[in-house]
Amino acid sequence: MPKTDERVDLREAVVLDRPWITIVWDDPVNLMSYVSYVFRSYFGVSAEEAERLMLQVHNNGRAVVATGNREAMERHVEAMHGYGLWATLAKDET
Amino acid sequence: MEFLPAGGETGRDRSNGRAGKDSQAGKGGHAGQDGQAGKGGHAGQDGQAGQAGQAGQAGRASPTGESAGSVTAQFEPAEVGLLRMAARQLIELLEAAESHALGTSVDPALRRLLPDAYTDDPEAAAEFRRFTAGDLLERKVRNARVVIATLGEELADEIADDAPETLNDDDFDEPATTITLDRDDVQSWLRTLTDLRLTLAERLEISPDGVVHLAEDEAPFLHGIYEWLGMVQESLVYAIDV
Repeated sequence: MPKTDERVDLREAVVLDRPWITIVWDDPVNLMSYVSYVFRSYFGVSAEEAERLMLQVHNNGRAVVATGNREAMERHVEAMHGYGLWATLAKDET
Repeated sequence: MEFLPAGGETGRDRSNGRAGKDSQAGKGGHAGQDGQAGKGGHAGQDGQAGQAGQAGQAGRASPTGESAGSVTAQFEPAEVGLLRMAARQLIELLEAAESHALGTSVDPALRRLLPDAYTDDPEAAAEFRRFTAGDLLERKVRNARVVIATLGEELADEIADDAPETLNDDDFDEPATTITLDRDDVQSWLRTLTDLRLTLAERLEISPDGVVHLAEDEAPFLHGIYEWLGMVQESLVYAIDV
């Protein structure tokens, strides 16, 4: 059934082309120092990168903090909710 | 009240932590908005809780030589009572939530503590909630219990429901309590302080620009607590800063 195979391949290709993203949104409550700390300790990014992401959240209202498959992004979002950060996941539209 | 590393100085210059803290009180250490911090970031600006914060400002480090990652701070009895009361109320809120259908919770505080994971897919958001909300709530309750446990034995004259009245000058004659937190305790504290502030922010009707809209008599007191909790958290973040 070559037709079915093609369809499956096509779907996989779409999924690979458009991964999922974890977005952290700005809120009026969380301290800048804390948000930066969470990015550093959870995602393991450098202090500079954590600061950059935190400022992006602060100034732009949101920042994409991770990209990958849906399951991984759901884990990140759950972790962020554990820290009290406002996070969502979505398909990468860019 | 100020958290410091328990094992003495780390490699980091302590003045960094202090500078950060000053900037919070002065103009805007909040990820949110300057309006908010500008209005109430000062310990001491809002009567009761602010005063509590300021009283401990000179908190002394007491190096214990414990393992790296431990921090310590001095808390006034009124501060301990306040934190214990707040943590208990948080646990009540979280435990009440467990028996409800969370997706449809009308409590804005609960909706903020467990926000939708998908903004444009209610079905996926409900599914996510079904698989994660129970665990998240359980962990949040556990964290709050750790905070209460690390505050030590409850004093006989410390009446939780009476916290506003316990915050008067007389209380500062009582000896301060030294609180020491290990690495795991710190994680619980950071998360619980956040959950408390998120909950209070909903009660205070703080808008995205950081402005308090609650007009009731209790607003200044609640806002004082909110700011004080922020100061405790900021101090904790700087104390463990690596």
